[in-house]
Amino acid sequence: MIRAKKLSYGVGDFRLRQLDLEVAAGQYFVLLGPPGSGKTIFLECLCGLKRASSGQVFIDDRDITTLEPRLRGIGYVPQDYALFGHLSVRENIAFGLRTRSIGQKEVARKVTETADMLGIRHLLKRGIAGLSGGEKQRTALARALTLEPKVLLLDEPVCALDECTRQEVCALLCRVHEQLGLTTIHVSHNLQEAFSVADRAAILDGGTLQQVGALGELLRRPGNEFVARFMRCENIFFGEIARKDADGMPEAVVDGISLCLPDSSGDLGDKVEFMIRPEDVLVVPLDRPNGDQRNHFSSRVEHWRDCGDYIRVELNGQFKLVAHMTHAAFTELKADNSSELGVILRPEKVHVLGA
Amino acid sequence: MTKSNSAVMGWRGRVFAAGGLFFVAVFVTFIVSLIAADIFYIDKEAVTEVLTSPFIRHALWMSLWTSVLTTLLSLLFAIPMGYALSRYDFPGKVLVDAIVDLPIVFPPLVAGLTLLVFFSQTSPGRWIEDSLGWEFVFQPKGIVLCQFLVSASFAIRSARTAFDEVDRRYENVAMTLGCSHWGSFRRVSLPLAKNGIIAGGILTWARALGLFGPLLIFVGSFRGRTEVLSTTIFLETSVGNLEVALAVALLLVFVAIIALIMIRVIGHGRGVKL
Repeated sequence: MIRAKKLSYGVGDFRLRQLDLEVAAGQYFVLLGPPGSGKTIFLECLCGLKRASSGQVFIDDRDITTLEPRLRGIGYVPQDYALFGHLSVRENIAFGLRTRSIGQKEVARKVTETADMLGIRHLLKRGIAGLSGGEKQRTALARALTLEPKVLLLDEPVCALDECTRQEVCALLCRVHEQLGLTTIHVSHNLQEAFSVADRAAILDGGTLQQVGALGELLRRPGNEFVARFMRCENIFFGEIARKDADGMPEAVVDGISLCLPDSSGDLGDKVEFMIRPEDVLVVPLDRPNGDQRNHFSSRVEHWRDCGDYIRVELNGQFKLVAHMTHAAFTELKADNSSELGVILRPEKVHVLGA
Repeated sequence: MTKSNSAVMGWRGRVFAAGGLFFVAVFVTFIVSLIAADIFYIDKEAVTEVLTSPFIRHALWMSLWTSVLTTLLSLLFAIPMGYALSRYDFPGKVLVDAIVDLPIVFPPLVAGLTLLVFFSQTSPGRWIEDSLGWEFVFQPKGIVLCQFLVSASFAIRSARTAFDEVDRRYENVAMTLGCSHWGSFRRVSLPLAKNGIIAGGILTWARALGLFGPLLIFVGSFRGRTEVLSTTIFLETSVGNLEVALAVALLLVFVAIIALIMIRVIGHGRGVKL
């Protein structure tokens, strides 16, 4: 387990503000945030490369705030791997072991064992120059793992890799994590990457933790507009709860249109900010009968684009919406730009931010 | 003309490359012509006299050991100083930087005069000579001190630049891998900065080997005692013995060329790029 307690750090105009974060033992945790949000600085504070201005860091309830980096038991893989160019792959991997009183045979055994685990045994005699991005990544990971750290910190470990290698390395990271059961913090700004390795995450922006939780929760129940937008939700609305329907469900008025919200969204007169994910927007033929008439609107396709995995449809009717549809669903609609369609926003899929 | 791993080159690229190589050719031809002119000018007797003179052999030996010792002493200062100036900030760093560079712009004669004044006219200088018994004025030790004063800045400047070019993150990673600050310096920063440090060492050695002005003032040029090859050349020229002076100069050039080639050959085998 690693825990940051009210951790603060300042450099220039930037401040990490009293971060509280706990990653349970054996958990694979992703720290998300846009560039410049303080993710790398936070990692460097955790492993002692930056001295926090206040706050504490604990590993397994042991306060390590004042310990030197070498004594913390943290493995660190920086963003561009920082492999030592004057050493071979073998010497890079053995680097940490040679700082300890470990015999040559034991060093060689551990290096080979780690290289085997990561599939880089054939590279051991090579120099660093000329390695591919994926090979460098594996070498840096092996170098951090040979010391059997309690916690592994990975700073954007796959951001410099091509899509194919990225998926491969993410799968490798998951496998290594399962095999070793290491507490891992993986910094990233890529949602796909986060979903492929972890199930719990935090979002950092401007040095402040915006939300911590399961990835699904961050995706479907974001705490604020920043988190919603970071999780690629474009359908965010501002309104006021004007009335409650016959079932007691609140209705918000947005640009003169009444939208039914889920229960406990607020009281009459409350200003609310709410969202619905693009993949939760149901797009149907205009004439399709709908038993439940709530939040059923007509709309027009303004623009659509094939994004590979899905079709992104921009709709403009009584208000602007973005829907993500499967290729099959979009083809079935036989829609094109300017097509008139129906849109259904299920109240249970609508989430009031901060609720 | 081009390396196999360079980009495809059009005619503009060839003209550009030819421009650079033209200046290389002009400069090398200029230097080689000068040396060739010297070779053709001197006669056999002068060469024989130089090669058989015990005083010249002594001066050659003095030139070699003092310049090598000066280089080692300079590197001893340059490595920690270069690292400290590269890595740490402190009040007055700009001023310290300027003072470190000062000997580079010092007229060499001023360095000799300053040393002479310090050791003969000031109480700290006299205390060093009288109480500690470290005599420098007109002594072989003074040659090293004089060379050190004038040439150490080259080593320090090169070491500082070399450490500046080593990303601090390498040291950071080394520290997370169990190294102390000293360990990360020794195992990471120093090997990564070695090319720049060695290049600084060569500059220092070359400057020390060719130095003569301040040596004449501070240690004189006593035959068999404080005479080095560079002062021999000056003295032989000043008494009109031009052929002997040129023969000594060629000996100095020959020694320098051998040393520079050896450093490159040995260095290349150990991954040093100069």
